[in-house]
Amino acid sequence: MEEDEFLGEKTFQHYCAEFIKHSQQIGDGWEWRTSKEALELPLDDSEVTEATAATEVIKYEYHVLYSCSYQVPVLYFRASFLDGRPFSLKDIWEGVHECYKTRLQQGPWDTITQQEHPILGQPFFVLHPCKTNEFMTPVLKNSRKINRNVNYITSWLSIVGPVVGLNLPLSYARAASQNE
Amino acid sequence: MTDDKDVLRDVWFGRIPTCFTLYQDEITEREAEPYYLLLPRVSYLTLVTDKVKKHFQKVMRQEDISEIWFEHEGTPLKWHYPIGLLFDLLASSSALPWNITVHFKGFPEKDLLHCPSKDTIEAHFMSCVKEADALKHKSQVINEMQKKDHKQLWMGLHNDRFDQFWAINRKLMEYPAEESGFRYIPFRIYQTTTERPFIQKLFRPVATDGQLHTLGDLLKEVCPSAIAPEDGERKNQVMIHGIEPMLETPLQWLSEHLSYPDNFLHISIIPQPTD
Repeated sequence: MEEDEFLGEKTFQHYCAEFIKHSQQIGDGWEWRTSKEALELPLDDSEVTEATAATEVIKYEYHVLYSCSYQVPVLYFRASFLDGRPFSLKDIWEGVHECYKTRLQQGPWDTITQQEHPILGQPFFVLHPCKTNEFMTPVLKNSRKINRNVNYITSWLSIVGPVVGLNLPLSYARAASQNE
Repeated sequence: MTDDKDVLRDVWFGRIPTCFTLYQDEITEREAEPYYLLLPRVSYLTLVTDKVKKHFQKVMRQEDISEIWFEHEGTPLKWHYPIGLLFDLLASSSALPWNITVHFKGFPEKDLLHCPSKDTIEAHFMSCVKEADALKHKSQVINEMQKKDHKQLWMGLHNDRFDQFWAINRKLMEYPAEESGFRYIPFRIYQTTTERPFIQKLFRPVATDGQLHTLGDLLKEVCPSAIAPEDGERKNQVMIHGIEPMLETPLQWLSEHLSYPDNFLHISIIPQPTD
């Protein structure tokens, strides 16, 4: 049984800092906020706007938080139409690609649920974090085998992001492997 | 110790006398009488209010009914917080019964999670239990249990069956013989005066020198304003299940005896009542 790869909070912060550095270089809008800042400033920038086939503009908001209980990052997200109407869980499900749906429906802890954002106190959708170590451990072990630098956050987000409509530009991976 | 077992029962069977009133702007065919109910402190609003829903829906038309939600003095009540926590945090200094307003329209999307079915409550409850065990035992105990044991925890809560619940929950309250307690204590501290919904951090029940950490130690470390000032009159009450435990109480003991069924200690910091 392989030892699970836990992510300490300081390491999480370090990988996020590296991630933000690259985000600033390519201008795709990620920001680092402390809990104090998160509560004071309006969130305008951690958004991605996407036009759907029916030319409805949808606003997605993604937050990466650290769970000290599971010692892994957790992806919180919400979506709304431009007029402010929020997405329901049903709407979110419709946006999930078929290839991910069966996997997500297998268990209550592999799925997307509505949760309270631990800092903002507002409803967000979350991918349950308890299985994160299961899929991250092989990724990290493998990178070590081939002596390749890996940014935990970049790798993790590239796995969970696409499930919920967040696709990272490839340049993140190149940036990660270039860091010492 | 029989005394300690009594504490478990007292916590489980705690009740809050509540008066439910229909929001005045809801459209009714006849006048809606208020509905009185004793709410279990350890349960969740949407789990125990079927009778309330039925009572008010009797005087309403189907088309005027959407998802039910509850509010106290203008504050939407988060169904995913245990009832006892909501009361202690928002209404403990007011006279009984607890007055809750019932709504069937205008669900506050920005404030409340949706609760489409009992399955949602079960998923939320089990998610909390799992997180608590991640902190206490690195998830080893909960993961070793079978699905039917998980189900028994939920059914015990759902059906108000103390023995059924604790037959399984006692395993979540054990720790290795060579240790003095859990790995970390599952707790959340709530204050209405802050924006942040709660404080949750990693905190060990035992210090490096082997001394048991107390409730006071926890607060000093993660929420010092709760017990300020140390000399003189304290500004706040520290409340769990409607009582103020002594700050000298070992945290490990509190975790084993005063946790909610989700295995978390939900602690309210409220201003001292001014009467």
